[in-house]
Amino acid sequence: MSVVIKTVNLTKRYGTLVALSNLNLEINAGDCFGFIGPNGAGKSTTIKILATLLQPTWGEARVCDYVVGYQSRQIRPLIGFVPDYFGAYEDMVVQEYLEFFAAAYNINGANRNKIVNDVLELTDLGYKRDALVDGLSRGMKQRLSIARVLLHDPKVLLLDEPAGNLDPRARIEMRELLKELRRMGKTIMISSHILPELQDLCNTVGIIEQGELIYAGPWADIVKRARGGMVLHVTVADNPAAAGALLAQNPGIESVNPNNGFLEVSLKEGVTDYSFVPQQLVGAGFKLMMLREEEVNLETAFMRLTKGMVQ
Amino acid sequence: MLGVADYFWRLLPANPILRRVVETGGKRRRDLFIRCGYLGFLIGVVIFSLISSNSSFGSMSLDQLAKVSAQLFRTTSYWQLGLVAFLAPVFTAGAITQEKDSQTYDILLATPLTNAQIVLGSLLSRLFFVVTLLISGIPVFSITQVFGGVAISAIAYSFAIAAATAFVTGAIAMAIAVFKVGTRRTIFSFYLFITVYVAGLWMLDTLDYFHPALADGTRSTTSWFTGIHPFLALRVIFNEKAHIPPDVLALPSNLQRWPLGWYFSSPQTFYVAFMFTLSFVLVSPSIVFLRRLAQSSNTLRSWVLQKLRITKGDKSRKPRAVWSNPIAWREAKTKASAARASILRYVFIAAGVIGALVLCWMYSTTYEPDRYVLLPDSYDADNNTLTMFGRNDLPARMPRDTMVQYKEPGQEKRDMGLASLARGKYQVVGQPAYEPNPRGARVNTIASITLAPLDRRVSADDARKFLLGMIAIEFAVILLIVTNAAASTVTREKEDGSLDLLLATPITSRYYIWGKLRGLVSFVLPLAAVPIASILMFVLYDLYRAASGQSFDWIVFPESLLILPGTIVVVVAFAAILGMQMSLRCRRTVMAVMSSVGIVLGVCVGLALCGYNVVDSRGLGQVGLVFGSFSPFTLMTLLVNPRGYANEQFGFNASDPSSVATARMLVFVFGWAATGAYTMLVWAMYKSMVKNFDMTIRKQSR
Repeated sequence: MSVVIKTVNLTKRYGTLVALSNLNLEINAGDCFGFIGPNGAGKSTTIKILATLLQPTWGEARVCDYVVGYQSRQIRPLIGFVPDYFGAYEDMVVQEYLEFFAAAYNINGANRNKIVNDVLELTDLGYKRDALVDGLSRGMKQRLSIARVLLHDPKVLLLDEPAGNLDPRARIEMRELLKELRRMGKTIMISSHILPELQDLCNTVGIIEQGELIYAGPWADIVKRARGGMVLHVTVADNPAAAGALLAQNPGIESVNPNNGFLEVSLKEGVTDYSFVPQQLVGAGFKLMMLREEEVNLETAFMRLTKGMVQ
Repeated sequence: MLGVADYFWRLLPANPILRRVVETGGKRRRDLFIRCGYLGFLIGVVIFSLISSNSSFGSMSLDQLAKVSAQLFRTTSYWQLGLVAFLAPVFTAGAITQEKDSQTYDILLATPLTNAQIVLGSLLSRLFFVVTLLISGIPVFSITQVFGGVAISAIAYSFAIAAATAFVTGAIAMAIAVFKVGTRRTIFSFYLFITVYVAGLWMLDTLDYFHPALADGTRSTTSWFTGIHPFLALRVIFNEKAHIPPDVLALPSNLQRWPLGWYFSSPQTFYVAFMFTLSFVLVSPSIVFLRRLAQSSNTLRSWVLQKLRITKGDKSRKPRAVWSNPIAWREAKTKASAARASILRYVFIAAGVIGALVLCWMYSTTYEPDRYVLLPDSYDADNNTLTMFGRNDLPARMPRDTMVQYKEPGQEKRDMGLASLARGKYQVVGQPAYEPNPRGARVNTIASITLAPLDRRVSADDARKFLLGMIAIEFAVILLIVTNAAASTVTREKEDGSLDLLLATPITSRYYIWGKLRGLVSFVLPLAAVPIASILMFVLYDLYRAASGQSFDWIVFPESLLILPGTIVVVVAFAAILGMQMSLRCRRTVMAVMSSVGIVLGVCVGLALCGYNVVDSRGLGQVGLVFGSFSPFTLMTLLVNPRGYANEQFGFNASDPSSVATARMLVFVFGWAATGAYTMLVWAMYKSMVKNFDMTIRKQSR
């Protein structure tokens, strides 16, 4: 599988502030890479560098084997960049907005009309072609942004917070649109704070904090890595405190904490067979009402792997 | 009672908005620099004035010292007022809009602060800076007291006029923001309005028509504009003979009543009182309607535009075709089609064309004289009698030896029989001389009579003067418009984030800048055509007169139609590229607009001053025309009204017409040379901007 985006020791400084520090990243063709991290972690800076808008202080960033800075002109037709804001143009209607950017990608004549119509159809914006861009809702504007970057059929989409501030319906519609784009074979790099949606959309993720990449790889692996010791949720009919004290004595158990009506039982690292827990409780005469393994998702993995440090 | 005192205490001294600015404003480094710059400039003006007085103070009499002091006061006062007029819009334009921009406006409205506290707090906090600037200038003015010759009351008036100007500017800014007529970018419209208002009224003030006749038959030194024009009102306080206002009792009885009597006899006090009252009138509705207007979703501007059917207020319209260069398309179409810009353009074009038509009409038509001779109907050759029309005079007898003289404007009288005069209407100059009336004679006998062509409504000299004034104002407005459009072109894209979208496309810096320039030129070309059309009207009229065999003297030399378009376009391109340069370097639109307008004004005024001085210099003779041609406004003057400013170099008074031809040739050749030189300068600036574009933009990226 060919590598589409590659950064080697990518570093960006703003004066004394280190926004990115030795970022090493590889994204393969067709991947949907979710870029997550706290505010100010360096996500937007990375995306802006890849979009040729910023020059790295040192290190190298490559898009489709072209080096950012030296071969930016070759990179620009290959990428579609959606920033975390909507670049509005006053007094332009939707069709003019798209035609404007089509012309910027040197798409002219009858071909331009056809492409604009196709993109409007794909993003379900056809009925809004005469609407003033300024008057569109936030969700519509985001759709229009996506429509804009599809005009020149780029290989790589760089999306910075595309679902930020969207209402639930618009967010779901945006997710479906991105899934469709992924099916079309686009390589997508997306930064977002809405982790469940990234989990649904992306096959790989990267976690960045204070400009440093903590982890990058398939999201299933990150969950495994974050898992550490398994956590069980246990509910008994009577006397949960006594049940907790009983379990705490078991050498396979790290800790037991009461939590909102149930017991949160943390197993020691490496312990994967927890059949002893119900046996012990039932054997001691406790009436077991519920036993389940705590689900480890991207959100919990993120919380476990990051320290909440902001620059 | 205590409640009222508490209200006023909270309204001003304890107003949190005002206190915040007063407490922190003095500490800001930017404000310190502006204050130092302002003061440094005034001190520079003083030093320059003292040096240019060209005398040694040791050898001066007290009277001479007083004259130098008066001159110093005059110069400094003009500059002070000019600077206040320039700086006040900058500081007051953001009174409310800055709160809106930083999204603190809604928070303020949600607090228990009253409307009056918010409006007055915002207004006074903005004016605080201008007032401190004025106060910092007091020591400079006190220098005049060392030499004498300037009354303290005159200094007080000078400051009061400047302060009143600042207050009314602030009140207008506040009303614009509260009534949602414009945005922070309205600052530019301020400048446009101030320029046209100040220059236009100053020009109109030179017409006798606006100076009412006094009881003794002379014209008043003050006009209908003196009391509402800052510079004309300021001129009154200098105690110059030509501008001392008339006494109330000298005014005709219908103008002696209040407030007209006050207006004409003391325009400086009227100006101060009127502007402060106007400020109050403008601020009052803002106080009353602040919260109500904040709740309204529609702006006053869009409401007015909808009522005028300029926009429908729709959220949609038919798409227009986008050019293959999208940057040029956007610059030309979206700017020009924006409702406000459309109105501005139409108003400008209509005002320019109507102004030129009216001037041309006034020049081409004549006054109906009191008494006139209409040939051949007036003269009855069979009976040797002459009928003069207009006053019901009885026909007079004209013996064959009656002296009939003819006088053309600017020429000596010459003997000319009635038979030699072409058919037409002539005015009778003065009183005809009658022979002593023999007793019993029923008809007067004319001994001599002088006839002259009818007076035009506007004389040729006045027509040139007004045409020059008109196209100079138009040119200045065009420069302001293009400078503003260019200065905001990149910063606005930076502010709304659309620049990043463009930079991520394959558009190159050369393509981007060229597109911007092309769009700006398309946007401004219809405006630039207005002064050229004005000149064309007069040239066509002169050509018509030439074709119909009338004697004529060119109002404007026709070669100006070959030189001025090039000059205007290249100077406009210079302003555009300079504005873009500043737009690239500055982060904020207001800063970019301010600095570019300042530079363009500085360059044009500087070049104009140098140009006029060089042309005026007797030692240089016609060489002065060569150098003068390199200053755009001087070149315009040399082409449109050389009689008014370069009479000697053109040799209009000399009997040898070849000197006029030489001067015209010199201006023609070096006018084009100047255009070529400016074109090269613009090209060099363009190349440098293309080269440094990426570097400049990336430096600002965050």
